[in-house]
Amino acid sequence: MDNNKFVEVKNLRKVYDNGHEAIKNVSFSVKKGDLVCLLGPSGCGKTTILNILAGLLNPTSGEILFDGKSVVNVEPKDRHIGYVFQNYALYPHMTVLQNVMFPLIVGKNKRSKPEAQKIAEKYMELTQITELADQKPGNLSGGQQQRVAIARALVQEPKILLMDEPLSNLDARLRLKIREEIRSLVKSVGITTLFVTHDQEEALSIGDKIILFNDGVIQQDDLGENFYLEPNNYFVANFVGNPVIDNFKVTKTDDELQGTDFTIKLADLDESRFKRSIPNGQYLLSVRPENIVPASDGILNVKVDDVELIGRERILKFTHDDSQARSLISLEVPVNHGDQVNLKMRLDRVFLFTPDGERVY
Amino acid sequence: MKTNQKKAWLYLAPTIIFVTLFSIYPILRAFGMSFQSGSLIDLTWTGFNNYKYIFNDPEFWLAIKNTLLYAVISVPVGLAISIMLAWIIFDKVKHKALFETTFFMPYVTSTIAIGIVFRYIFNGDYGMLNFLLRAVHLPAPDWIDDPAMSLTTIIIFGIWSSLAFNIVILMGALRNIDPNFYTIADMYGASGKDKFWRITMPQLVPTIAFLLTMNIIGAFKIYTSVYALFNGAAGVGNSGTTAVFYIYNKFQTVGTPGVAMAATVVLFLIILFATFLQRKMMKKIGEN
Repeated sequence: MDNNKFVEVKNLRKVYDNGHEAIKNVSFSVKKGDLVCLLGPSGCGKTTILNILAGLLNPTSGEILFDGKSVVNVEPKDRHIGYVFQNYALYPHMTVLQNVMFPLIVGKNKRSKPEAQKIAEKYMELTQITELADQKPGNLSGGQQQRVAIARALVQEPKILLMDEPLSNLDARLRLKIREEIRSLVKSVGITTLFVTHDQEEALSIGDKIILFNDGVIQQDDLGENFYLEPNNYFVANFVGNPVIDNFKVTKTDDELQGTDFTIKLADLDESRFKRSIPNGQYLLSVRPENIVPASDGILNVKVDDVELIGRERILKFTHDDSQARSLISLEVPVNHGDQVNLKMRLDRVFLFTPDGERVY
Repeated sequence: MKTNQKKAWLYLAPTIIFVTLFSIYPILRAFGMSFQSGSLIDLTWTGFNNYKYIFNDPEFWLAIKNTLLYAVISVPVGLAISIMLAWIIFDKVKHKALFETTFFMPYVTSTIAIGIVFRYIFNGDYGMLNFLLRAVHLPAPDWIDDPAMSLTTIIIFGIWSSLAFNIVILMGALRNIDPNFYTIADMYGASGKDKFWRITMPQLVPTIAFLLTMNIIGAFKIYTSVYALFNGAAGVGNSGTTAVFYIYNKFQTVGTPGVAMAATVVLFLIILFATFLQRKMMKKIGEN
């Protein structure tokens, strides 16, 4: 038994009947007690993976191990998982208490009513829904329904909790609150949790680690901050970060990176950050908006199209190479709509990608 | 505001006129006629005589008894079979559309036509039903010509013809149940029985209540199927007479509209009471 590989997925592949390959050779592992976010745009395969883990879908090939044991041919009910659906799927004809008790009073291992009620009440207390016991789900707010769904998923004391976009039905303010609650709840129970989301901010704020998918392939499996500081490839750099990263087309020559209207000397770059030696040719230079800011010795002169206030910072928008780019500046910097400014890049923070997305710097 | 109201009356007028003319007036007229005697063109007030007459008429009591028995047996049995079939089609059958269409066919076919076919099936000598019964060495009664079997035959026919509508409505209701309800239940290891009794049935309660009301009202109004099965009569020696048959007979054949209307009022009160009772019952079930 290896607690660092409590959940282990090896070479997982899923081809649907219509020939669509949703998952292409995916491998990852999850540490016991961790809360891991499966992140990605819609259609990237993250929910497919969750459903395969739950046993709702069969993988085309590959291996899944829970606590060191293969579960590929194990029925969902014997996998010791709890599952929270996006729409919660609470039974509308049952009260909250009956909903939470449901997993305990059906099937082969059903318990007596008083025993089931005792366990249900324990988890209802944990999720703070005790006073709602006699209500029907239809009378509850989205956040309360969410808690009922979680309590119901936990009563069988599963080893693994799977959550499919559990916050997407809630309004923005409630989402912030509930995600904190979910994190503290699963941490206090100590259950290993996989949490599917398309919201990077949500993933960054609650995940112990994040696995980012696109096109059925893992793009990066890492701690949250590394998605930001050390993206694996062009997709990751562009998917994570708000405001989104700026991309500039550049041509590498023997001693320079030549962009439209600006030039960067290769000597000014940090040599240790190069992943490999690269031939001359076309590349993409990406820089996060906070790392390209107005300065007297800036290398790129642009006209400010628009200035947007976001709390204590401002986004300075400009057009370069026919595409929009952004610079993130503090509230105090005196720049206005229509100004001409010189922008300077922090060259130890920029990224360089090949045209097919591989990161080389 | 005032002109608006005038316009509203104008728009409502066609409906009000038609409803008054064809629903409200006939109801009141029927009620009034139940206290009158004589032929339609020569009615005179007679007090409660019509009611006295029907309550002393053994044929009326037979009609009410038959109708009540028919309603009490055919509706629950028909509904239970419908639920069972709908669940099997929904849960197990691959080509649902085909079966649904097949099951719906009787509903769009004329009762008279089906009744004639059933006359052949039920025929005591060469009917298909008795052929099958004899093949497995079961008693083969004379379904049509034995007065003691009339009501049974009517009930079997009634159950069969109620399936079509019930199944189609139930299939719609089953399809409306969130499939995640079952996925979740599977994940918790719920058995098929658990799922049916804890999820499917409670979710079907409103639909079942609706069908129960429709079926009961329909059952109390049974006429056509009796007419078709027994070739225009109410079974041998009127053994299969029903309330509507009695009313029709007293109105058209015997020519005592007052008696017919008195029976109508009694039938109306019975349906009203039955509907009220089962609404109360369904409400109780819905709450639990």
